[in-house]
Amino acid sequence: MSAPEGPEVPGTPPVLELDQLSLSFGGLKALSGLDLKVRDREVVSVIGPNGAGKTTVFNVITGVYEPTAGAVRFAGESIAGRAPYVIARLGIARTFQTLRLFMNMSVLENVLAATYGGTKAMPWESVLRLPRARREEREARALAEDVLSFFGQRLAGYRWDQPAYSLSYANRRRLEIARALATRPRLLLLDEPAAGMNPAETHEVTELIGRLREEQGVAILVIEHDMHVVAGCSDRVVALDHGVKIAEGGFDEVANHPAVVEAYMGRHPEDLAEAD
Amino acid sequence: MSVDSQGPQVGTDEWVARQGQRREYLPSWLGRAQQAGERIGWWPKLAIACLAGLALPLFGLGGFQLQVGIDALVIALLAVGLNVVVGWAGLLDLGFIAFFGVGAYGFALLSSPQIGSAGIHLPTWLSVPIVMIAAALLGLAVGLPSRRLIGDYLAIVTLFLGEAFVEFTNNVAPSVLGGPNGITTIDPISIFGYQLTTNASYYYLLVIVVVAVMAVLRLLETSRTGRAWRAVREDPLAAAAMTIPVNRVRLSAFACGAMVAALAGAIYAAQQTSVFPTDFDTPILILIYAGLILGGSGSIAGAVTGALVVMVIYDGLLRSSTEAGYLFYGLILLTLLVKLRPWRRLALVLAATVALGFAAHAIAAAISASAVAGGPQSGGWIGDALRYWVVVPANAQTLGNWGFVVLICLLITLVQVSSRWRTILLPPTLCLASFVWETRLVTEPAITRQLMIGAILIVMMNARPQGLLGQRRVETAT
Amino acid sequence: MSFFFQELVNGITTGALYSLVALGFSMVYGVLKLLNFAHGDLYMVGAYIGFFVIQWFGGAAHITIPVPLLLLTMFVLAGGLVGGLGVAMERFAYRPLRDAPRIAPLITAIGISFFLESSALLLFGAQYRVYNTAEFISLSSGIQIGSVTIDSVQIMVLVLGLVLMTALQLLVNRTRLGRKMRAVAADREAAEMLGINVNRVIASTFFLGSALAGIAGVMGGLLFNQVTATIGFIAGLKAFTAAVVGGIGSIPGAMLGGLLIGVAESMVTGYISSTYTNLIVFGLLIVVMLIRPSGLLGQAQLQKV
Repeated sequence: MSAPEGPEVPGTPPVLELDQLSLSFGGLKALSGLDLKVRDREVVSVIGPNGAGKTTVFNVITGVYEPTAGAVRFAGESIAGRAPYVIARLGIARTFQTLRLFMNMSVLENVLAATYGGTKAMPWESVLRLPRARREEREARALAEDVLSFFGQRLAGYRWDQPAYSLSYANRRRLEIARALATRPRLLLLDEPAAGMNPAETHEVTELIGRLREEQGVAILVIEHDMHVVAGCSDRVVALDHGVKIAEGGFDEVANHPAVVEAYMGRHPEDLAEAD
Repeated sequence: MSVDSQGPQVGTDEWVARQGQRREYLPSWLGRAQQAGERIGWWPKLAIACLAGLALPLFGLGGFQLQVGIDALVIALLAVGLNVVVGWAGLLDLGFIAFFGVGAYGFALLSSPQIGSAGIHLPTWLSVPIVMIAAALLGLAVGLPSRRLIGDYLAIVTLFLGEAFVEFTNNVAPSVLGGPNGITTIDPISIFGYQLTTNASYYYLLVIVVVAVMAVLRLLETSRTGRAWRAVREDPLAAAAMTIPVNRVRLSAFACGAMVAALAGAIYAAQQTSVFPTDFDTPILILIYAGLILGGSGSIAGAVTGALVVMVIYDGLLRSSTEAGYLFYGLILLTLLVKLRPWRRLALVLAATVALGFAAHAIAAAISASAVAGGPQSGGWIGDALRYWVVVPANAQTLGNWGFVVLICLLITLVQVSSRWRTILLPPTLCLASFVWETRLVTEPAITRQLMIGAILIVMMNARPQGLLGQRRVETAT
Repeated sequence: MSFFFQELVNGITTGALYSLVALGFSMVYGVLKLLNFAHGDLYMVGAYIGFFVIQWFGGAAHITIPVPLLLLTMFVLAGGLVGGLGVAMERFAYRPLRDAPRIAPLITAIGISFFLESSALLLFGAQYRVYNTAEFISLSSGIQIGSVTIDSVQIMVLVLGLVLMTALQLLVNRTRLGRKMRAVAADREAAEMLGINVNRVIASTFFLGSALAGIAGVMGGLLFNQVTATIGFIAGLKAFTAAVVGGIGSIPGAMLGGLLIGVAESMVTGYISSTYTNLIVFGLLIVVMLIRPSGLLGQAQLQKV
């Protein structure tokens, strides 16, 4: 039933482990008994109809919500209930479904802002330009340039001083990913990275995710609706509906799973017009 | 990169990408000045401003003018401190004036006969840092509720804390704090043994302090701390997801602003040699905000420039009525010059205004002698020039009051109507404005300057929220 | 013990006043999410209007018309004119800033408040204007319960306050306009898309809220006798406190908050000292804000991620 789970090094805990995770808002059960494992350098996609609880999972992992029951473990350590910025510093970074850039700051500043957790200089050190502050600033800048160059000409040098609000939509999404990478994560959470993109850009996203895994060495958890992306980049797919996991495995396996088909298309899919 | 045969490619073509950087400049010489200004770096501009500030008294500034300069610089220092809290971190602190008060009263308590039998008379190098640290701690305490309070609530709570400070110093422990009579006989500041006792010396001190604080804040702005402040303002949720400890960063903004305010307070107390609770009441806070808004929230240079402009006008309106007249009529003419284009239209409006004024005056004089019996209240050559142009009756007060109300209505209408109606309505509005000025406003400068402050806030927020030197912000609906 | 009850009565009376102002403030916040700092100054304008009505009809000692008619005129005129002023404020100052960042209307409101106060100083002068209520309303015709006196002005304030608050509650909960107000308060864009004339609803809200403040101003003049340009600031502060303590955006909250503040003030003035009244009221606010930021009856604001 479960597909190969990616390269497993015996003895090391998975990068991310959700163990019977449950979250309720008052009477509404957003997540129920969710189990999920992500290993190093693995790409796992999370699919499901809207309202299934996918972004809620991200919010729980990153500390925005505290789970009602169950455990969230990052590299073996429980992170449930910890503050979001602490979790971010531990090595989990994310992008947002609705794009949350620092709009009035420049491209470079957006990425540099994310290096805060990796630096230690105190304000007076920055003011007096003491050696540690200068060094950290240099390193942060180098990291930012490195991360931005990952996107080639799209976010090239001449763009660095432009405010984020002046970027095109696709570039904004790229910038958000770049910003997340600047936190040097071990686990990257991408929330609908291909939303609103045309086929060419979608293809770029699929390649991008693959490259992220290879070149940056991160584990990636992707929420996506576009099945081309899911099929193209995932090692494993997890399907959610109404806060419950309904299928897990390789893409073909999950896509044809009766519960998944029903969740997306209802009980009598043959009644719907031919899609593709 | 050049435009190739396929045309500019969005996304990869540098020429297209830089489109947003090709700025629109003000027309003619103003634009050329703007461009030149942009080519000079920030630090050279600061150095120039510093030299200009230090050199200003050499042009023969008298005693009163020095006091204006000192007041202006104190407000400028406060504005630049407020900029950290409001402009960068986006925290609407309406109790900021309390930190100013803490600095002033703290310095007063530590440098006067107030406490104990002979009083504590700490040397400056000790008392100033102490009050700054005390203010920083108070800033942290004030900032703590910001964890739970979003925007508006924080504004209310800080407003109350500011009011609480005034109440506190007015009523609590009068033997120590002096009650409504405040604390007098405060020691002057002494630097390396040299005591600052003259206004000139405080002026120079303030210029140096303001420049130094601007420099420190600039260095902070471009550091990780400054970026964190701004990121927290832009999107606290995203900032937290990007490793920034949002609450801690907000607290540091409060503390930083508080320290700058306290520094201003200490210098103020020493220069005035006395402090009273009313020195730290809301009207002063509004002055600081007016300066920050006018100059441009978020910009160090903007904060200082705006504060200086506001204070010069504010104090300028209290001097002789001639000078106030310069300011009033000068501002009107300046606005017309900047806003009325093309030149023909401006000329038309001015001509019509002049004609209308004389006509009205002649008609009024013909009807009744008492209708023009009072003269324009402006002194000097302005009053003389206007004698036959503006209609000023003998007992002008009530009429002037009604004129004021009508003027406000007219101004509001002017903003709403189309361009043609505006041209038609402008001459009567200008005549009425002069009438109201000559009958009421110029005789009550203290009230007029407050009206002006309120007007600055209202007009700026509607017309140019980013102020003179600020950048337009894009807000995402949260 | 009777001292306690007397102070209680006094507190409830002033509390009714604060409630009225707080109500208007809360209503405006509800529909526009705007803290209208100029609201207190509307109270001040209402008080001045009441004063001038008295002067117009012969001055406090020589009223030329029956007192009930005088009072009616005062209230109606104050309510109507101040309501109109509020509508004008919204139309010309706040409407252009509907979609601007929150700080813009706030700063504008501060500017308007300052401008109103200064205008009042210019137009009416700095001297205190006195209602001299005792000259035309016989204070001795009140109620006496034991040794607690409730004079006629207090009775009027209480009754009128109650009537207005009930009327407002009914309006908001039972009428179509009220339903529209609640819709706009919940989600302005959605309300617009559902065909609600949002501009008119907001204007109506402003009118009602401002009218209440104006009427409260007349009441304040009758109760406290003195009117000057700066009473608006303090009244505004107390109203904010009341609205926020009770839960901003909530009408019952504003009423409760006003009552609490009024009674607290009375008790502190009576039992401790009037010098500490304001401080303690502020302290109360801070405490409530820290424990329950959304106020006693308010709803916590959820943030969608």
